[in-house]
Amino acid sequence: MTAGPVITPTDDRPTSLWKDAWRRLRRNRLAVAGLAILMLLIFVAAFGPWLTPYDFLSQNLDARNLPPSLAHPFGTDDLGRDVLSRVIYGARTAFLVAVLVTAVALFIGVVLGAIAGFYGGRFDKALMWVTDMTMSVPQLLLVVVINASLKQPITLWMEARYMETMNPIYRNSAIIDFVLVFGSMALISWPPYARLVRAQVLSIRNRPYVTAARALGLTNRIILMRYILPNAVGPLIVAVSAGLGTAMVLESAFSFLGIGVNPPTPSWGNMISDGLRVWTNYPHLLLAPAAVLAIVTVAFNFLGDGLNDALNPKGQK
Amino acid sequence: MTAPLLSVRGLRKEFPVRLGAFGDRAATVHALDDLSLDIVEGETLSLVGESGCGKSTTGYCLLNIQRPSAGSVVYKGTDIARLDDEAMRPFRRDLQIVFQDPYSTLNPRMTIGEALSEPILFHGLAPKAALPERLRQLLADVGLSERFASRYPHELSGGQRQRVAIARALACQPRFIVCDEAISALDVSVQAQILNLLLDLQQKYRLTYLFIAHDLAVVRHISDRVGVMYLGRLAELAPAEALFARPLHPYTRALLSAVPTTDRRTATTRQRLQGEVPSPLAPPSGCRFHTRCPQARDICRTAVPALREVAPGHATACHAVTSPTATNWEETPA
Amino acid sequence: MTALLDINGLTIDIDRDSGPARVVDGIDLSILEGESLGIVGESGCGKSLTMLSLVGLLPNRIRATGGTAHFAGRELLRLSPAELRKIRGAQIGFIFQDPMTSLNPVMRIGDQIAEALIYQTGLDKPAAMAKAGDLLELVGIPSPRERLMAYPHELSGGMRQRVMIAIGLAGSPRLLIADEPTTALDVTIQAQIVDLVRDLKDRLGMSVVWITHDLALIAGLADRIAVLYAGTVVEDAPVDLIFERPTHPYTRGLLASLPTLTDRPMSRLPSIGGTPPEPGRRPAGCPFAPRCTLAVAACQTEVPRLRPVAGSDPRHRAACFVTAKEGAAA
Repeated sequence: MTAGPVITPTDDRPTSLWKDAWRRLRRNRLAVAGLAILMLLIFVAAFGPWLTPYDFLSQNLDARNLPPSLAHPFGTDDLGRDVLSRVIYGARTAFLVAVLVTAVALFIGVVLGAIAGFYGGRFDKALMWVTDMTMSVPQLLLVVVINASLKQPITLWMEARYMETMNPIYRNSAIIDFVLVFGSMALISWPPYARLVRAQVLSIRNRPYVTAARALGLTNRIILMRYILPNAVGPLIVAVSAGLGTAMVLESAFSFLGIGVNPPTPSWGNMISDGLRVWTNYPHLLLAPAAVLAIVTVAFNFLGDGLNDALNPKGQK
Repeated sequence: MTAPLLSVRGLRKEFPVRLGAFGDRAATVHALDDLSLDIVEGETLSLVGESGCGKSTTGYCLLNIQRPSAGSVVYKGTDIARLDDEAMRPFRRDLQIVFQDPYSTLNPRMTIGEALSEPILFHGLAPKAALPERLRQLLADVGLSERFASRYPHELSGGQRQRVAIARALACQPRFIVCDEAISALDVSVQAQILNLLLDLQQKYRLTYLFIAHDLAVVRHISDRVGVMYLGRLAELAPAEALFARPLHPYTRALLSAVPTTDRRTATTRQRLQGEVPSPLAPPSGCRFHTRCPQARDICRTAVPALREVAPGHATACHAVTSPTATNWEETPA
Repeated sequence: MTALLDINGLTIDIDRDSGPARVVDGIDLSILEGESLGIVGESGCGKSLTMLSLVGLLPNRIRATGGTAHFAGRELLRLSPAELRKIRGAQIGFIFQDPMTSLNPVMRIGDQIAEALIYQTGLDKPAAMAKAGDLLELVGIPSPRERLMAYPHELSGGMRQRVMIAIGLAGSPRLLIADEPTTALDVTIQAQIVDLVRDLKDRLGMSVVWITHDLALIAGLADRIAVLYAGTVVEDAPVDLIFERPTHPYTRGLLASLPTLTDRPMSRLPSIGGTPPEPGRRPAGCPFAPRCTLAVAACQTEVPRLRPVAGSDPRHRAACFVTAKEGAAA
């Protein structure tokens, strides 16, 4: 016995929240441009080294510091290396660093933020204290300190492992550099994500559908994983896209200062550093990497803004 | 006389809050004070009252969704008000709730089918293989086609979402459901549909309802007994027919006369209650209604009136009322 | 008597990604001086949008696309934003539903009322504050002079709504539009507000449009009632006739599905099956036909217009092929 005839759904095309958001994003030209540039970056990072006409390491001392030309669209540097190839290879470095750092920071941030927001109490207070502490120290200083203090122990550890296993991978000093840079950058990048997730969890925790889940007798773990976190994803996506841009700039800053990726591996940061010394004579050496870095960062920002608007439509129930 | 399904004694709930621009002043919201009643199996008991009266808080405390500050709620011989989350879990199946706002009562990221399957699988009420059939039956019970199972909440209207919320409560095969203003947020014509649905389901599954509402006409329609609450206390508790025919507490009378009616004559000649409901942060002393009561006397300011039965099954908390027909003081105007 | 407000054939569209969707489809309404009109309908029927379109307050992506609206000799839909701003408040006052979000939380209420007065009547600040105090007294707020200094959050819901009414009255408008002003309030406070508005209307000689979904509520206030369904007026009559002789099937269904204090308890309420049409998905013909038990073939193809109900007051009109002809006997 039911209350009247059975109701059937009228629309035969179920639309998901994501499809609606995608439609809205598509209409935002700046965001689409940002997305296009991001796609280009990924493509270049993946296939670039095979596309470059020149090897980024090969030096041609007869063709030093040449301005842009058909043969060398971005010119050559003071060792005759093709700047375009180096910029392309730098894209790979930039992208790798950005993704890895953000992934690690995100993981740490989500876990800590979710626990803090959900359980509250002393853990929450402790976490917020650590977050505030980390955010109040200048990032560069923190990275330098972490780098400096961990370099020695890690190097020694690597040598010891090599002695034990004779595995040549432990001899690769570039790995040590990478790990140190990644690690320290991740350690300073997680606090904003933790704060964001915590704020989201705090606000979602009191929504009726969460109370309903409690009333059904579901466990806290299920509630956190299936009811709270999936609904916290929206602002997180926006933060991640902006965070990727920030991570790239951060990496460039560190390379510029000499921490992190070292020559001869090209990174936009160390290219900018080299270019800065001679830019009055050879402006293309500075402009090429700087312009590319700027464009990519702006692209990430446009994408982030577009995602924000797409995921938070006005006037939607 | 069979034992009641739920036995509530001395229920009290206080919320500490912080006031002032910087949260520097501590204060207490006295949401519930010394509430006692029994709920009989199979009945529909309604709680009515205006904002701040504590009716929703009663529902939450009964189900231990909010821990009461004091008092007991005895169900199947156990005081469930004292239990922690873990111990409460087995009881949750039997005691369910439907919330007011259909637009936030469902997880936006889960399909209807997933939302309904969750309690079934969690409490082991059906094996996975039997799930599609069980879902079809649940949806049919609330008047929805099984095609809704693959839809997301945002594709459903308010009335449809509320039906899903009811189905979710039913999925646990409960004995008792708190309907916390379950139809208040719906359109008028949809309210009638959902009300009929609730009546049908009660008959089919022998459910017991605690119906929390502010619309007295709706309450009249669905209730066996009605409790009128004011600022955290019961003012009157009586069988529905008796309450509407012979309201005894002055607040009940005022409430009834304020209900809009399509009868044009009475619409313009009603008793008006002056003033506003006092804040639960600082409830009046003695009888909490004394600040607006047309019959208030000195004793009302100092002594809390107990909920006394003045006629079979009809109890009221008022110093003035001693029997259904006579009061301590002069005759009350109709 | 000429009408103060005369709306004819008003249509309003929502701009969606997939194209415009019609949400108000040809509304005909008029109000006389000093009359109070109740507009009744459920959510989505376009009652709020119709009134908002008169003063240019439609939300983004919603536009009035056709019809006319004459107010005191001027065509509202053709006025510029600047001219509309002059009419808002001074000639047509508005009261909205939720007083908490309609009042500026960081301004004292005296300042908010005074602001309206200064803008509309050109008083200076001290005179405006004095008048604000008068208005607070008019709307029944105790200790009005002290209350001028209060912030909205210090007042209860009923008090805030009274402040909203005071702001609405500040410019001494000829027409007051109240958009569900009591929906968020308790029933005893609701009754107080209804009494207040009725009293003010009698004293000040204003016309009042009261938008609500609650038929019973409007009974104590309105002279005439217009019932809206899916963006059209389906019945329009003096208030007594709506209750004594509801003609349009939707009106009848609505009245029948309302629980009242005099019903038999535990009885099933007659309910109207189905749901109203979505904007942009209107059926051809009468919008109520899919849910109507009296529908005939003509209802599926032609849209009924408001016509006088046979055997009833000439002001009683219904948009139905079947029932308007036969009057109350259908």
